[in-house]
Amino acid sequence: MRMLWGAALAAGLGLGVAAATALALEGDPAAGEARYAENCVNCHGRTGRGMASFPSIQGRDAEFIVDRLLSYRAREMVGANSALMFSLSEELTDQQIVDLAAFISTAFP
Amino acid sequence: MNRQIIPWSLCAAVAAGGLTGLSIGAAAASTPSLTSSTVLSDLQDPWDMAFLPDGTMFFTEKCRGLSVRHENGDVAHLLGMEGTDGFAETAEDLFCDGQAGMLGVAVDPEFDDNRFVYIYSASRLSEPGSNRVVRMVVNEDLTGVSDRTDIIDDIPYKPQASDHPFGDSGAHNGGRIRFNPGSGNLYVTTGDTHAGHVPQSGTELGGKVLRVDRNGNAAEGNAPPEGFDARIYTYGHRNVQGIAFRPGDHTAVISEHGPWHTDEINVLFAGANSGWDPRPNMAGRGDCPDDYCGYSPNQMEGMDPAERAAWMPMTDFETYPDAMAPAWENNQLSQGISGMAYLAGDQWGDWEDMLVVGYMGIGFGGTPVGQRIDLMDVAEDGSSAEASEFPLPMGSGRFRSLVMGPDGALYVALDEGEIHRISVE
Ligand code: HEC
Repeated sequence: MRMLWGAALAAGLGLGVAAATALALEGDPAAGEARYAENCVNCHGRTGRGMASFPSIQGRDAEFIVDRLLSYRAREMVGANSALMFSLSEELTDQQIVDLAAFISTAFP
Repeated sequence: MNRQIIPWSLCAAVAAGGLTGLSIGAAAASTPSLTSSTVLSDLQDPWDMAFLPDGTMFFTEKCRGLSVRHENGDVAHLLGMEGTDGFAETAEDLFCDGQAGMLGVAVDPEFDDNRFVYIYSASRLSEPGSNRVVRMVVNEDLTGVSDRTDIIDDIPYKPQASDHPFGDSGAHNGGRIRFNPGSGNLYVTTGDTHAGHVPQSGTELGGKVLRVDRNGNAAEGNAPPEGFDARIYTYGHRNVQGIAFRPGDHTAVISEHGPWHTDEINVLFAGANSGWDPRPNMAGRGDCPDDYCGYSPNQMEGMDPAERAAWMPMTDFETYPDAMAPAWENNQLSQGISGMAYLAGDQWGDWEDMLVVGYMGIGFGGTPVGQRIDLMDVAEDGSSAEASEFPLPMGSGRFRSLVMGPDGALYVALDEGEIHRISVE
């Protein structure tokens, strides 16, 4: 499946330049799945349900996930443990973020 | 500390797991080949296990409570926490919050006679909440518990969030409880609750290893400094997550989480100071966020672990020259070191009596995640250790608890919600 992010959506979220770039990309869930297995699974789990101090990311739509990852990449605190997500997300390109969002939003309903 | 070389046989595994590569090979002639099976799955944050000789396994889930897996595989839910259902009994004062909840479980060495089982849990019975060691009597058919007695009720709990990584309330509880097979004393590991003054305090029970009898009274032979609570066996700890007793002399060996650097293994002795002192205005440090320097000087950013260690050491020999030296510092990395056990039985070949240590993995600020089980040979005097990576017969995960079963297999609980049995083929 493919995802397309419109500029209108980006504007609506007020996410700024990086966000607009990210949101104009198409997410590739297969690439997202591979990255998830490499970078995310050890905290959020195989089914995204989270564990220990790591939150569940089930039932989130792609928009929410893109939004969060962009916030973390911009080093904005969300919860008390955002620092963990800062260092992880600063490695992510816009493309990788939409890929991850495409995968997570469909694989973990 | 021994720095290490990777044996060829492990290189592939290390590379695949993305681990630090600073592990060593004890691998030699008679190393067993392993197999694994899943004992329980779909659990919620399983935290610890304890066995009866027939294979019955008690286990805790952090936000649910105490259950038992009978020898035939059936599971009975014994003591639920606040808001749970499906348990034979519910204790509404027991709660979970962040890292706090129902953690360790232990079975009395004289279970046959007294049927005592013990858990470590956060409770609201005292303000503002505390961690407790709760003793209960299990009925004959292992379906219910009664006669609750809180043998320790005054271990601190962190009631409020603070400005720190993992700074939510409920942080740093320790929580492992184990009976020493030699003396029959109960060892209780605690955590610093992100409170700067706690680890070196003689009256606060956080940041300690306590040693008590089955009623919670101080064990004979505890030797803390003058004025300290008599239940204190060792102090100056950060967050002790694992404890096991060395085969032969039953000396206690522990693991503690480091603060973005330096996970430690220590061989304990009565009255030892592990040298953790996160108070502000100590050892050349100034003020720190919410009076806790544990993650200073740089809480939220990656930084060279060695530099961190120099600023805020896990073991501060300058301030405490007699502090207990660690046997293992995990190459100065913090990777969520956790439960541990000694492999027992000659089926383990060369690994018999070696320590196995679980790591949950973290991956902050450029440190490799490091999920694995290490196989360790700890020097008798506790001054050093050699480690190699235990070759997993299963996928990796957040290894929370490692316990030897009476059947000679190693049982491991993963945060992923599973308990696995690892045995020799
Ligand atoms: C080291 C553990 C760890 C890893 C690895 C990790 N996360 Fe997280 N994640 C966290 C923590 C902790 C939080 C909560 C942060 C906070 O307090 O703001 C979080 C939060 C999130 C959230 C927001 C959840 C919400 O409901 O607000 C998303 C989305 C997310 N992570 C996605 C990912 C993705 C995608 C990856 C892989 C690139 C990943 N995480 C890897 C620990 C981790």
